[in-house]
Amino acid sequence: MDPNMSASCVNISVEGMTCSSCVWTIEQQIGKLNGVHHIQVSLEEKNATIIYDPKLQTPETLQEAIDDMGFDAILRNPHPIP
Amino acid sequence: QQLERSEPAGASPPPPTVPSVMPKHEFSVDMTCEGCSNAVTRVLNKLGGVQFDIDLPNKKVCIDSEHSVDALLETLKKTGKTVTYVGPK
Repeated sequence: MDPNMSASCVNISVEGMTCSSCVWTIEQQIGKLNGVHHIQVSLEEKNATIIYDPKLQTPETLQEAIDDMGFDAILRNPHPIP
Repeated sequence: QQLERSEPAGASPPPPTVPSVMPKHEFSVDMTCEGCSNAVTRVLNKLGGVQFDIDLPNKKVCIDSEHSVDALLETLKKTGKTVTYVGPK
């Protein structure tokens, strides 16, 4: 892996999604944030897995961004990529 | 003898402003499910000072508020949905 590129992974519980349209909207909105490398939202597991640059985003800012969209976002313990 | 009454001729008083009547605005929001409308409900409640009705089948949100149309638009756009201002109601 490129040593200059820093990436962390966080898993955020998201409540209030009911269809794939909600999932798509979150992926679009959060995916275009600065420092977000990748986002995967699961409707079944009600969570979002986000790979991000810790220099530009924190788990808190990401959780806030989802919360701002009108979904209940609960931060779980951030776990860095092994 | 006639009673003297000072009545301004022709000048009608300005209509009284009733503060309880708030402007109504209608927005079209591209909502597809309960989750979408719940998201709209949440962002509007966060803004505060609004009364609103959500018509999910017609994708319409009718808001009663002192906030400007721009402020309401910005708030609705936070949900990531396509939002257009229909007009006052």
